[in-house]
Amino acid sequence: MAALLEVRDLTIEFTTKAGIVHAVEGASFDVERGEALGLAGESGCGKTTTALALMRLLPYNGRIVRGSISFAGRSLVPLEEASMRAIRWKEMSIVFQGAMNSLNPVQRVGRQIAEPIILHEDADSDVALKRAGDLLELVGISRNRLNDYPHEFSGGMRQRVMIAMALACDPKLVIADEPVTALDVMIQAQILDLLERLRQELDLAMILISHDLSVLADTCEQVTIMYAGKTMESGKTMDLFTDPKHPYTQGLVGAFPDIRGPRNMPEAIPGDVPSLISPPSGCVFHPRCKFAFDRCSNAEPELSELAPGRRAACFLYPEVTEVPGRSMPIATR
Amino acid sequence: MGTVEVVKVGGVISPFRARAIVVGRRMQDIGLQVFHNKTAMAGLIILIFFTVLAVAAPLIAPYGPLSAVPDVGPLTLPAPGHPFGTNQFGYDIYSQVIWGTQISLLVGVLAAAVASVIGTAVGLVSGFVGGWIDEVIMRFNDVVLSIPWLVLMIVIAARLNYLDLVGIILVIGLTGWSVTARVVRSQVLSLKERMFVERGRMIGSSNTHILLRHIFPNAFPLIFANTILTVAVSILSESVLAFLNLSVKSNVSWGRIIAEAYQHDALTIGMAEWLIVPGLCIVFLVFGFYLFGYALDEILNPRLRRR
Amino acid sequence: MNAGITIFGIICLNYLLIRLMPGDPSLSIIPRDPKFRGLRDYMISFFGLDRPQWEQFVIYLQRLFTLDWGLSYQDHRPVADILLHDLGWTLLLVGTSTILTVLIGIAIGAYSAIRRGKPFDFVSTGIGIFLYGMPIFWLGLVLQSAFRKNSVFQGWIPWWPALPTSGYYDDRLIPWNWDILHVADAFLHLLLPALTLSLGTLAGISLVMRNSLIDVMTEDFVTTARAKGLSPRQVLRRHILPNGMPPMVSLIALDIAFILGGAYQVEVIFRYQGIGFRTIEAIGSLDYPLLQFIIVIGGAAVVIANLLADFLLLWLDPRIKIS
Repeated sequence: MAALLEVRDLTIEFTTKAGIVHAVEGASFDVERGEALGLAGESGCGKTTTALALMRLLPYNGRIVRGSISFAGRSLVPLEEASMRAIRWKEMSIVFQGAMNSLNPVQRVGRQIAEPIILHEDADSDVALKRAGDLLELVGISRNRLNDYPHEFSGGMRQRVMIAMALACDPKLVIADEPVTALDVMIQAQILDLLERLRQELDLAMILISHDLSVLADTCEQVTIMYAGKTMESGKTMDLFTDPKHPYTQGLVGAFPDIRGPRNMPEAIPGDVPSLISPPSGCVFHPRCKFAFDRCSNAEPELSELAPGRRAACFLYPEVTEVPGRSMPIATR
Repeated sequence: MGTVEVVKVGGVISPFRARAIVVGRRMQDIGLQVFHNKTAMAGLIILIFFTVLAVAAPLIAPYGPLSAVPDVGPLTLPAPGHPFGTNQFGYDIYSQVIWGTQISLLVGVLAAAVASVIGTAVGLVSGFVGGWIDEVIMRFNDVVLSIPWLVLMIVIAARLNYLDLVGIILVIGLTGWSVTARVVRSQVLSLKERMFVERGRMIGSSNTHILLRHIFPNAFPLIFANTILTVAVSILSESVLAFLNLSVKSNVSWGRIIAEAYQHDALTIGMAEWLIVPGLCIVFLVFGFYLFGYALDEILNPRLRRR
Repeated sequence: MNAGITIFGIICLNYLLIRLMPGDPSLSIIPRDPKFRGLRDYMISFFGLDRPQWEQFVIYLQRLFTLDWGLSYQDHRPVADILLHDLGWTLLLVGTSTILTVLIGIAIGAYSAIRRGKPFDFVSTGIGIFLYGMPIFWLGLVLQSAFRKNSVFQGWIPWWPALPTSGYYDDRLIPWNWDILHVADAFLHLLLPALTLSLGTLAGISLVMRNSLIDVMTEDFVTTARAKGLSPRQVLRRHILPNGMPPMVSLIALDIAFILGGAYQVEVIFRYQGIGFRTIEAIGSLDYPLLQFIIVIGGAAVVIANLLADFLLLWLDPRIKIS
């Protein structure tokens, strides 16, 4: 059976005054029903763009130039806008970074949660508001607060409201884009626990996007590491953490301290994310890579399978032969 | 823009010279952006056109602003030699329109300068000193903003009875600084919070030093853009006063030409140019200042830029 | 509270303004001729001009609040009566045109914001800035000429309408009655002045609306709303507009003084006898009792408009609290 979400060779460009921004190039991944996929990488590497593209919500100057998105058996890229609107939130919802600005500041939260229910299920507003109350309780907020405005909630509470809202129409897939960034550590843990609990209870599929690998560690089965719009490495979360192959992944894993290991200062990756308008030649990571050699600046490494379910795009590893019968690189499991 | 590079030139460099280089580069940068901004360039071209017209008026205009066309009576229809006709005294309207550019530009620019200087001073002090002084100044500002500007101006202009060029500039300038004061104050408030001021204070600078050396130079581009917009408003104000016969009497301005056209029913007697052309001149000149001012504001105030 | 202070400030500034002006008010009533010496002294003491400044100020305040505003020099009617009458007509003009302007301005602004960078946006913004720089009195004159009887346009287009170009109703219809004929006539007389004032202020409102909405459109909650599957129209009506309104309201309130300035010009051009027309007349005839209270009324109108705007904001934006 096909996966719930299959993304193949997704390539996204933005047209700006300064030139064409190659925001995402050749992203490929699968999400099974009830499974969580993590997307990781520094900011500006195309994670959020990928998420927006999945819901076909790219800004006016962005477009999908190549690739396919198949969701529950339907191909989303050529779908007309009206059918896409029927899928949004009903089957696929999203929790944005910083619920501060993701909620409409001049509308009561109850109405905001009820809005998609009324829209997609033709419910009248009493029924929808009752459901909204149930949802608030599900995420641990008293239903008495249905009539409050977003600014009357704390940051963590707002994120809970946002999650309640995301679950309003029983979606099959929830995309959580940096759901805990800008929250303090205690609240982060609570929100992550909540997400994990709901995923188990409701059998949700989830894409969790974060620049912080530790956020993904406990929740996701699979992780894909992105850099400058390209996929660097993908595989099972545990494998990736214990034995990172790609130098970039190694850098990311090394960037946060291991409480069990020896006390070393976390090692930062030198340099900045390159310009996406004129990316470096060859491997996009080579200017910052401490293992870079001649070939890295001339040719671009393919994403190739190192072990079953494990892929990396780096010349350090011998290219394993293509998986028979599959011509496109995918993050298999 | 916005990031100021550290100037590193071999050898010792005086702080003054370092600042001059930084400011110079910033100006160069702004100039370049203006050059590439279509709106700004369109505005600039209009402004250059009218400036040339004003400066070269004695060369271009066939007759003086207040001298009759020989051998032609009053209120004659447009004809070769006097393309817009003559007014009730037999003056050439075409020449009057050209001469009118001088008064409109001069009054507009100088009145805006007066308003900007006062507004900037008030805004700087109010925003920087804060406390009860700020409170008092802002209340007073509210009061001035609340009295409809036109009434205020008309009353002052009328009571002064005789207005020369300096008088009209002062009337418009002295009644027009409130908005500038507000804009500058809010800018100062935000600049005050910035770190470099803290740093400036730590190395023992006086308040005056911080105000003049750190805050003012940073607020200047915004003040400049605001001044350009104030020029547009001042030109409109002058035209209203002139229309109400309260402006300079010794020279001709567009507002006054319109007033005379109105009094003599220019459209009914077939002299549409008399009414329409000076009006269009005001519209285009003000349009030029607005275009340039808005574009400049957009360049200098990145928050407003297209995202 | 602040509004009270501001009104008091206007009252004081007004007093100062009138007193500091050169000229002797008594001179404008009684000629400076030795013959009239006794009469002049009598007048001076009658108007209290011989008392100390603070006492005069107290009397001024007293009379201000009891609406005992004295007689107009010009037509010898009580100033309060004249101004209350004029105020009604000015409110009709300003009210009609403000409502018209706000509705149309919001529509145009919203449409250009959605079509940002498209031809409609480009054209409407261009025309907007152009209109923004147009002197209102000139616009009034042009419209007046275009819609008068036997206008140039009537020669070209047979059905081109002629509209009343002065006054607020037909002189032949006096005395004024509340019957349909009078109301319709007053409406016709209101058309051109209201149109002029609206065109003069429309541009500012639609431009600000556009920029304010474009600002709101980049907010995250708009993406949330789109992600919910709402149509662009629903996103605009339920999420973008409600958030774009508060800045608009504060701006219109700030602009009231400007709109009043425009109304004064319109009244003069169309001989529409409201406050503005009266101001110009009062200046012409040096009618100081009238003049000083016109300033107070104008200022108070602006302060009250701002106060109303604050209450409106309180209702529009739940984040604002009464302080």
